[in-house]
Amino acid sequence: MIRFIQSFMCVFLGGLFYIIPNMTRRGILFTVNVPPGFRESPEGRESVSSFRRLLGLVVLIDLLAITFSPMSIMAPVMLISPLLIIAVAAWGFVRQRRKIEPFAVARTVWRVRQAELSGQPDRLPWFAWLGAFPFVFLAAAAAYLYANWDRIPAEFPVHWGPSGQPNRWESRTVHGVYGPLFFAAELCLFFVALALAGWYGARRSYMRRVILGTMVAVEFMLGLLFAGIAINPIAQFPIWAIVLAPLAAMGFIVIVAVNRIQETDEAAEPTPQEFWHAQIIYYNPGDPALLVEKRTGMGYTLNFGNVWSWMLMAALVAIVGTIPILL
Amino acid sequence: MGASIRYDPESGVPAIRQITDNLRVLLVEERLKPGAQLPSMRRLAMELGVHFGTVAEAYRELAAEGWLDLRHGRGATVLARSAPSIRRKAWLDEFRDRLRGLIAQTRAGGAPGDEVAEELRTAAKEIAR
Repeated sequence: MIRFIQSFMCVFLGGLFYIIPNMTRRGILFTVNVPPGFRESPEGRESVSSFRRLLGLVVLIDLLAITFSPMSIMAPVMLISPLLIIAVAAWGFVRQRRKIEPFAVARTVWRVRQAELSGQPDRLPWFAWLGAFPFVFLAAAAAYLYANWDRIPAEFPVHWGPSGQPNRWESRTVHGVYGPLFFAAELCLFFVALALAGWYGARRSYMRRVILGTMVAVEFMLGLLFAGIAINPIAQFPIWAIVLAPLAAMGFIVIVAVNRIQETDEAAEPTPQEFWHAQIIYYNPGDPALLVEKRTGMGYTLNFGNVWSWMLMAALVAIVGTIPILL
Repeated sequence: MGASIRYDPESGVPAIRQITDNLRVLLVEERLKPGAQLPSMRRLAMELGVHFGTVAEAYRELAAEGWLDLRHGRGATVLARSAPSIRRKAWLDEFRDRLRGLIAQTRAGGAPGDEVAEELRTAAKEIAR
């Protein structure tokens, strides 16, 4: 079983890196601004294929190691196999970036910004309301546990080791039973805040919609996952389902998001170069936007010149701080 | 597509002037008609990447001129505005001074005189329509 789960995780990780070239707008490849149609050119296709061949090779090596290694060395194999994928993917990414840099075109320079003078209210898309459902799942799980309190074992496993055997237990107390639900509620609330910040705190664009959808989908998945974990002492789901279901859901979310990103030829949001630090940190107190599009083209990042970005960071730290208390 | 305004942070013209002047052009040319709702100050500031206060000041300036109705919670609405009566001498002197200043500034920035003249002729035709 452990070999199967580890193999799945390696394939999943490899799959995530496999679609990285498609996770940016069509005009950006391996963080390089490329001319229109470059992705379809022989050089563009070869660059992506070369990156993916390398990934395929390392995932294959990992799978062989996981399948044929004796159980005595399984722990280090489990640790090294994902790290190897990450390291090779990072190296391959940088290598391809260098290869296509000669084809780069000038980045859109912050010069003129245009705004439509529409008084239409900035209404949330319909799917944003799906963000309420995870709280329903969590509340339903809490009600189910309350109604079936006597069926909860006095002690139940909450963590499993590499061998698949439980190595941490929790007792039937309010803290032990409802802790994961409280934590999930915090997490879902944070994602709702992030989704709303991305909608009302970013400039209007196609990407804003994609980011909102992704946030809601992740929150949806987290709500379901934690509701499942919370009722597991009674429902007794198989361990592989608890591990693999969220990975499969994440994979689905990423694939849908990538397809949506590739559907637009909209230009990337221009932001002034002088406010970017190391190309990844945006600090512009003069820009009221809370979230701006990353220079790498992969999603959005916070404008640390906006005080609300620090509130969001503080909320995240507070949530992480509650892990030892609630879980 | 509806009316839109542009903001160039490198033009040397303050943001408040660019936004107010851009909006006034749209109002005078009736590309923003009476009853039209403008974006909220926060949204316009976000889209243009300027301080909220800059847009608020631009809206207030146009409201003071009678172009906009600013009601709390309702955003900005374009008003039907009749041009106030003004003595010919008063506006003409000021207009000439400002126009000359603008032409001089544009030409000093490298714009060819014949192209500036052509633009003025086009603008004159549009006004006369």
